[in-house]
Amino acid sequence: MLATTIILPTINYTAILPELIMLGGMLVLLGLVAVIPRDFSTKTYAGLTQVIGTASLVSSLVLWHDVAAHGAFQAVAQAVDVDGFSVFFLVLVSAILIVAPAFAADYLHDEGIEGAEYFILALIAGAGAMLMGAANDLILVFLALEILSIPLYVIAGLNARRATSGEASMKYFLLGAFSSAIFVYGIALTYGATGSTNLADIAAFLSRNVIATPGTLYAGAALLLVGFAFKIAAVPFHMWSPDVYEGSPDGVVGFMAAIAKVGGFAAFLRVFVSALPTLSSIWEPVVWVLCALSLIAGAVIALSQRNIKRMLAYSSINHAGFILMGLIALSSRGVASSLYYLFAYSFIVLASFGIVTVVAKANSGSAEIDAFRGLGRRSPVLAVFFAIFLLAQAGAPFTTGFLAKFYVVSAAVAAHSYAIAVIAMLSAAVAVFFYLRVVLVMFSGSETEDAVGTPEQHPIVLSRWVWSGIMACAAATVIFGIYPLPLINFARAATLLFR
Amino acid sequence: MGSLTSYLPIFVLFILGFLFAALSIVASKLLAPKRPTTAKEAPYECGIVPTYELPQRFPVRFYLVAMIFVIFDIEVIFLFPWAVVYNSLGTFGLVEIIVFSLAVFFSFIYLIANGALDWGPIKVQRPASESAPRTTSSTVRRVSSNNEAA
Amino acid sequence: MPVSLPAIPAIVTGSLASQHAFPYLTWLILAPIIGAVLVVALPKDLVRLIRSITYLSSLAVLGITAAVIDQFSTKLAGYQMTSTHEWAPGLGISWSIGVDGISLFLVALTAVLFPLALYGVAPSRNVKAYSTWMLLLETGCLGSFVSLDLMLFFLFFELTLIPVYFLIASWGHEGRNRAAMRFFIYTFVGSAVLLVGAIALAFLHQAQTGVLTFSIPQLEMTRLSGTEGVLLFLAFTFAFAVKAPIWPFHTWSPDAYAEAPASGSIILGGVMAKLGTYGIIRFDLGFFPHATTMLAPIFLTLGVIGIIYGGMVAARQRNLKRLVAYSSLSHMGFIVLGAFALTGASVSGAVLQMVNHGLYTAALFLLVAMIYRRRKTFEVSRLRGLQNLAPVMAGIFTVVMLASIGLPGLNGFIGEFLILSGTFTAHRWWAVVAVTGVVISAVYMLWAYQQVFHGKVTEDERAAAFPEISPRERLVLVPIVVLIVFLGVYPKPVLDRIEPSVNQLVTHVLQIDHATPSAAYHSSVSLKLGK
Repeated sequence: MLATTIILPTINYTAILPELIMLGGMLVLLGLVAVIPRDFSTKTYAGLTQVIGTASLVSSLVLWHDVAAHGAFQAVAQAVDVDGFSVFFLVLVSAILIVAPAFAADYLHDEGIEGAEYFILALIAGAGAMLMGAANDLILVFLALEILSIPLYVIAGLNARRATSGEASMKYFLLGAFSSAIFVYGIALTYGATGSTNLADIAAFLSRNVIATPGTLYAGAALLLVGFAFKIAAVPFHMWSPDVYEGSPDGVVGFMAAIAKVGGFAAFLRVFVSALPTLSSIWEPVVWVLCALSLIAGAVIALSQRNIKRMLAYSSINHAGFILMGLIALSSRGVASSLYYLFAYSFIVLASFGIVTVVAKANSGSAEIDAFRGLGRRSPVLAVFFAIFLLAQAGAPFTTGFLAKFYVVSAAVAAHSYAIAVIAMLSAAVAVFFYLRVVLVMFSGSETEDAVGTPEQHPIVLSRWVWSGIMACAAATVIFGIYPLPLINFARAATLLFR
Repeated sequence: MGSLTSYLPIFVLFILGFLFAALSIVASKLLAPKRPTTAKEAPYECGIVPTYELPQRFPVRFYLVAMIFVIFDIEVIFLFPWAVVYNSLGTFGLVEIIVFSLAVFFSFIYLIANGALDWGPIKVQRPASESAPRTTSSTVRRVSSNNEAA
Repeated sequence: MPVSLPAIPAIVTGSLASQHAFPYLTWLILAPIIGAVLVVALPKDLVRLIRSITYLSSLAVLGITAAVIDQFSTKLAGYQMTSTHEWAPGLGISWSIGVDGISLFLVALTAVLFPLALYGVAPSRNVKAYSTWMLLLETGCLGSFVSLDLMLFFLFFELTLIPVYFLIASWGHEGRNRAAMRFFIYTFVGSAVLLVGAIALAFLHQAQTGVLTFSIPQLEMTRLSGTEGVLLFLAFTFAFAVKAPIWPFHTWSPDAYAEAPASGSIILGGVMAKLGTYGIIRFDLGFFPHATTMLAPIFLTLGVIGIIYGGMVAARQRNLKRLVAYSSLSHMGFIVLGAFALTGASVSGAVLQMVNHGLYTAALFLLVAMIYRRRKTFEVSRLRGLQNLAPVMAGIFTVVMLASIGLPGLNGFIGEFLILSGTFTAHRWWAVVAVTGVVISAVYMLWAYQQVFHGKVTEDERAAAFPEISPRERLVLVPIVVLIVFLGVYPKPVLDRIEPSVNQLVTHVLQIDHATPSAAYHSSVSLKLGK
């Protein structure tokens, strides 16, 4: 037989504790749901998920403290980075997993999707997104990408009774599998060209050597780019997102939108900024085009949407364009601005879809714009909150939405990318218009339409779960919009420690 | 943006590809003779008219079992090399394989609890009329599940 | 925050006067916000309480403004009553506010017009939302005028858009949705370009000094190359030209003015148009003196075209509200002319004329709204002989109309005279052509007055009651008329406060211009206003 000497990695389990808590918690839920079948309601599982999210948040903060005190370090055979950047995503993903169950608990219960399945899948996806931010090795990036994606395919199809849900899941899965395959091919070519899958090694190799025939390397980088662009739904790799958002169960779309974008951008930023900065003259124009297309197409196509979920899907594409501007700037300011934008976007999109869910439920499942007509009279407080989130997406002053846009635009201007800055602001002008249209529909007038009479104009009753979610997101949006200092420092520190 | 010129071949390739595809479609539209018959329109071009709908119906449970089989197959694939080099891996290997096995084991319990390995007539797990207020959709659901049980 | 970040230098500079004891200006901005929050918190059925809170908070603003004017020193040219707090230091944004002679009376104008608009022409439906939007709008306008931080200015500048959009779209006339949409898209595109320009300017400043800041006094010290200056100037001016509006960027404005509810027109024409010209005077002249002097002839020409074009189109209107809208456009041309003539007299005149224009435009829109309330029409052809039915109203209309034409002794005269005489010294021919605008405005205003107020009343029209002006309406109109007459007879206290700041600004423009080769041109222009 073989005489093997295997070099065993020493695994620093505290470095990946947040991910382990997520996965461990997931196993506990899996065991619970098996042993006590159907006895706990979804609300119990939602609460447990929030507890797990909180535990992971605490361990992330401990890691944050370690990194701040002792500097960044690597773990698990240099495959995992523990630095400001990864800690930012640990905290953000934990926070998303604390908030997201609040929007799903009631919805799943009402739709008859009992059990812990959604929460189990959400925790797995959360662990994947965390690893996306921490991965320092292309192999681990790919694993994390799959850990993130596969649960999301299932979540899209969670509502087995609705054909649209299955359709969304199928579309997402087929296109996602395609993009994953392309991504792996990109990893293979990059490895072939540089001799390593470790991001730091790739960067070191590229800075030391001039590659005579860079075709393989370019192809590898291009395929990686395509893989990421698909995950973040940048035009022209966005086709899946409106269909998936529209078809997926209402109460979980916000989570899907937030976590996929957070995870996708985490690895996108790290791979391209830390491993391939020497190729920036090659990939920057491509990202520029992706960014411009996302900005324009996202805003313009959203204009013609009548379904709010589709409209929000296209507006997410527009947001993806904004976040890409931070990458184009290719500076620590740029990355910090992208992080700030991701943070702002996550909570806004969670709450927006959360509110769409309850309104759609009160209108027999319709998320058409007409479902929102007269919401200002029907449930004024809910309408005001929805207006806040829509205006925040539009970049209204004194919300995180404005500062996020300001931050990315200023990063682009600082990098002398004036054209993309102007395109972005013009697309924001278009985008404002469709957000305002919804707000106007909610508040404006309909003495005449009252006479025509929709019979069920009783106020929409919200449970404490949804309220708590909305309040948490509103607090994140408004407080950090008025007093942004802590969040900006957090994002800046995340990139200061970025190697 | 000067480096954009290096993308020129790709753009040219795009245009050529598009032109080729467009040309092929137009050419076949123009040149090919069109004489449709019932036999030609049939799903199988060899001309045999199908007498029953394919594929046949069979329990979806086969898929489930097949998938569970694949999962355990993979587990064995992982376990085998681990067993071969067990001595040189030491405690590290033991810890890792326990973590791995636990994950699979919990999933297995979950599957059993959900009746993935039960065979026979479907048990109706959630009587739809129990608590939810009666709506059109719940009624439709109940009727359809009754049909299945029957 | 455990990670130590690089220290960010304090933004407060020597050019700002010392911190004032009582933060008047902060409260000025907060008062309407507090009112708005209270209104939002109340149930919508308590209409009377909501109205009282709205009036109270807008009157509180008026009171604070009176105190600010009282405290304002005529000796100082720089910013007064400043207060600066770091807000987002990493991004260079700070909460920095203060007033100088240029902004002082625009604040006062805002503080006067809002209570009058709120009290004079409140719609009866959906009072809660209406009051909230109006108070937010007041915050936005006041905040824009007192901001000493470019980004803070931008925030407030943007904040004004949303309330106006909803005011037009929810309470406007028939074409309201289209008008609101056009208003919003035009102005938002303008401010989109402004944002990019502002950020670019801050980074150029950072490249020179190493400090990232949006502080207006600091940014004025930025040295720009010719191309940078021109590009940034165009980015800024585009936004302000849309807002003001300057011909040919005005196409949104007649619709928006005409379709907006009365209060919306008053604020749009009275206050928000001034945001544009204020921006031009404050930012174009302050930040880009060289580009401004270089491109001034173009904008002088646009100003003159605006005067003539607005007047000609106004003369062809048969809709009273549109007539007032176009006349407002025409008179904004004078302010643009004064701002770009770059003499002490013309810029002082422009600042004063902003206040004057705000007063008489607001009064005209108020009067038109009062006529509409009685007759439900703006069509001149369907109004006749109102003088017999409502002589007091006719009298007030006469005064306001004469002020807008520029009759000596009323406020419009002083501003236009200063602008034209200041322009004449530097740019003779533009001034000469602009004077014809005064004549045109006399023609259409007198025509409109004659059509609406003179003429015989048929029995039918007498039967359709046209009540005389009510005490409430009197309470709204009389303060404006008093101000119109007061400013026309005795503008000295206002000019005394405007001139030091304006002279400092004009000196700043010309000094920087001297540093460049092509400057001898302006040396003959007298800087001081003859006193």
